[in-house]
Amino acid sequence: MPAEQMGQIPKRLRVIYAVSTVIFVAVLAISPIRDHFAGWKRYEKGYAKFASTRANSRQLMADYHGGIDQIWLPKLNVTDRCTTCHQGISEASLLDDSVPQPFRAHPEIPHHVRAWGCVVCHRGQGLATEVSEAHDTTLAWEKPLLPIRYIQASCGTCHQDSLPETPQLNRGRELLVKFNCEGCHRVQDIDRPAMLGPDLSNIGAEVSRAWVYKWLKEPRTVLDSSGNVVVDGYDTNPRMPQFRFKKGEVRDLSAYLSSLKSPLVESSQIDPSVAAAWRSRSDLLSYGELRFRQMFCTDCHALAVVRLGETQLIGGDIGPELTKVGSKVNPDWLVSWLRNPQAYLPHSQMPRYEWSDKDLYAVTQYMLNKLSDPELLSDVPKLGPATPAEIQHGRRLFNAKGCASCHVIRGIAPQKDFGPDLSNLGGKTVSELFFGNAKVSHTLVAYIQAKTSDPLSVNPAARMPQYHLDSADLDAITTALLSMTGTPTYPGFALLTVPASQPKFDPAGDFGKLYNRFKCFVCHSFNGYGGTLAPDLSFEGSRSQHPWLVAFLKNPQTLRPTLTVRMPQFNFTDQEANTIADYVEMVLQNPLVNKAGVNPKDFTPQMASLGKQLYFVKYECQSCHTIGATGGYVGPSLTNVGNWMDAAWIEAWLKNPQALIPGTIEPRRDFSEPEIKALTAYLLTLKQKSQAGSGTAPGGSQ
Amino acid sequence: MRRYALLLALPLLTALTACRAKHSARKPDPPRNAYDTEADWNNADHLIPLDYQQSQGKRLFYMYCVWCHADSTPAGPSNRPNLNPAPHLIDDGTVLNSMSDTYLDNIITLGGSAMGKSASMPPYGRSLTQDEVRAIIAYMRAVAQPAYHKPARPLPHYKAR
Ligand code: HEC
Repeated sequence: MPAEQMGQIPKRLRVIYAVSTVIFVAVLAISPIRDHFAGWKRYEKGYAKFASTRANSRQLMADYHGGIDQIWLPKLNVTDRCTTCHQGISEASLLDDSVPQPFRAHPEIPHHVRAWGCVVCHRGQGLATEVSEAHDTTLAWEKPLLPIRYIQASCGTCHQDSLPETPQLNRGRELLVKFNCEGCHRVQDIDRPAMLGPDLSNIGAEVSRAWVYKWLKEPRTVLDSSGNVVVDGYDTNPRMPQFRFKKGEVRDLSAYLSSLKSPLVESSQIDPSVAAAWRSRSDLLSYGELRFRQMFCTDCHALAVVRLGETQLIGGDIGPELTKVGSKVNPDWLVSWLRNPQAYLPHSQMPRYEWSDKDLYAVTQYMLNKLSDPELLSDVPKLGPATPAEIQHGRRLFNAKGCASCHVIRGIAPQKDFGPDLSNLGGKTVSELFFGNAKVSHTLVAYIQAKTSDPLSVNPAARMPQYHLDSADLDAITTALLSMTGTPTYPGFALLTVPASQPKFDPAGDFGKLYNRFKCFVCHSFNGYGGTLAPDLSFEGSRSQHPWLVAFLKNPQTLRPTLTVRMPQFNFTDQEANTIADYVEMVLQNPLVNKAGVNPKDFTPQMASLGKQLYFVKYECQSCHTIGATGGYVGPSLTNVGNWMDAAWIEAWLKNPQALIPGTIEPRRDFSEPEIKALTAYLLTLKQKSQAGSGTAPGGSQ
Repeated sequence: MRRYALLLALPLLTALTACRAKHSARKPDPPRNAYDTEADWNNADHLIPLDYQQSQGKRLFYMYCVWCHADSTPAGPSNRPNLNPAPHLIDDGTVLNSMSDTYLDNIITLGGSAMGKSASMPPYGRSLTQDEVRAIIAYMRAVAQPAYHKPARPLPHYKAR
């Protein structure tokens, strides 16, 4: 090759060289350029710019540090880079709604945001530094952000006991128990109760085959087009879900269930001479209604009442709704049930009242004649006597449909794990879920809601029955399910969980017998165990005077002016009332109340008149409490407090009410010692003249 | 020469498009995305979104204050008509918006008589914690009608760190 041609590389080669150089440089540049334009860098710069517009920009810039910011919680296995963009997350001055995201500060919560990071509560991809990767589901990242309305699920992942701050989660957990989801599913931290649903071993004695047929078809009150409750004798929101039975299936199941019948206990029937004497009396039904009201059955059972042209359900929801119970149950069964509910259903919460034959006859006649609807079963097809083939098929269906997961029938083995395990549902990624036909967005929340509100929309062959939840309850259940993320996989996590505990209060002896018979715990609570319908009785012995207690038990009067629920009249004998009062006095004591340390004789009339001044003028106690006919509706009536409360209790209460009953809304005051004595002296003078004792007219009316 | 330019531009373009993250337009629906909501007392269709602190205030309000500061209560009739002077409804922005946070804090913790008002307003300083009182104030501010606008200065108590 001639020397002058040495540097002459063919043109073609030069082009190739040039192009490949450019491509090489460009390829090398991709990564730095990408990095330069990374989403978080824009926010990094944006924040600096934004901070400079704020009044406290110097302080904001002093806290500012660029680059990837990371919160690392090795014990929880959490690496969280959210603060790379959410720079102002803990800047007090950026809490305002006008601050643009992602710079706004986090609203105040009980946990320190910088100590816990973001994904522990909000989920999402902590490691991601792109907006969509951090927040949404992408092909590579499967845990999207948890919508804020379900955020209480994250509280529940660690806090297993119910916190007052998380009402939605608590409600969801309650619903899981109420609907007995653990009958079919494994559910985290909710133990399978010993008794699942009503025992059906003797259901044929209680209701007719036609009623069973109707119930199985639609166990729910139907709302009419205007949204009013059309009460048809059914529970308004029964725990029993709706199954999609075929016609023949309902026929055969009703045949099987109505064949389950054993004779009723003979001795539970009403004395025939009493029935004969009352049968033709014109005041039979009105007397029955009076006793029904005096027993305050409506504390637990609802009745449909027409008010101003609108049907409303009035009453409690502890027991079933009773508007048309007369057309539901067999009259003999009703009598023996009221006599002794536990003989029929051992786990029933219904108290065993002490009925006289007269009362029992009148009340059952009232229920059978007035709480009834002859049309109730008119749309049920004619069902002849059950044939052996129907019964056999019905029995098979009972197992195949999963009925035995909730109901006991003697001789039929209960089913276990009929449905899938839900104990780690909340921790599942989208690829673990089967969406089937469901036309919902592919997220865990949408999946849970579709499955819970309409199981068939996901899987047309689903065995799961239909529940009818309103949107608030659906959200609550979703929250509870989302909180169940399975057994903690990191050791640090187990330490964080707070287990729920509620030791059962189950006294022994004579009191224990009465306590279990009258089911005090359904409405009252004792050291944290029991219901919330009626006052906490943990320290009732320190509060009440013995004679008042006996009189109250025999003839309960309302203590709160506006309350519609009342203590029922249980018709205690003198001996029973004394047994209860003795036990309460002995055991249900608060150590802060020293009865021996206060002598009511020490209170002088001068003290009482000073106390009256304090009560009405200085502290205006009458804004919340009534005496006689005047005063406020917030606290209990004090008309008879001198007979009711113990002097030592009043003193201790005035000192510090929350020490006696934590969480009581009575505000704690700064009374001086003489003021406390004076107020106590005044309150002890408040005594109703005719203090209700045994023998006066029964009933709670004032 | 144009051909080179094109060749050069191509990888650059791809690189550039790759780093522009697509921002999915998430539709904001404040009530549905809130921790909790409260219905406007005068218009049940108007839902007011509440954040965590405000929702705690709501809970406390319905426990302690609703009896006197609302016209209906969860337990039925209100105690408000029994009182003279009648307390203001808690969402009454026309009155409460002009009271500062400090004033509200004082009347709630020290009671009406300490502030030269009726002793019917009890002091809650020994039954509610400072955080709880602030939560109730936050709730009052959230539900106020007409809406409350906070004076533009940093909150002294903020501590979510
Ligand atoms: C026993 C009834 C009662 C209860 C319970 C009550 N208040 Fe009041 N409150 C009043 C009365 C009466 C006034 C009016 C005092 C006046 O104007 O002289 C008042 C006044 C107020 C005021 C000042 C604004 C106004 O209306 O004048 C605020 C703020 C307030 N209360 C907050 C609360 C909070 C918060 C609670 C619950 C922790 C509460 N109150 C519980 C009776 C009550």
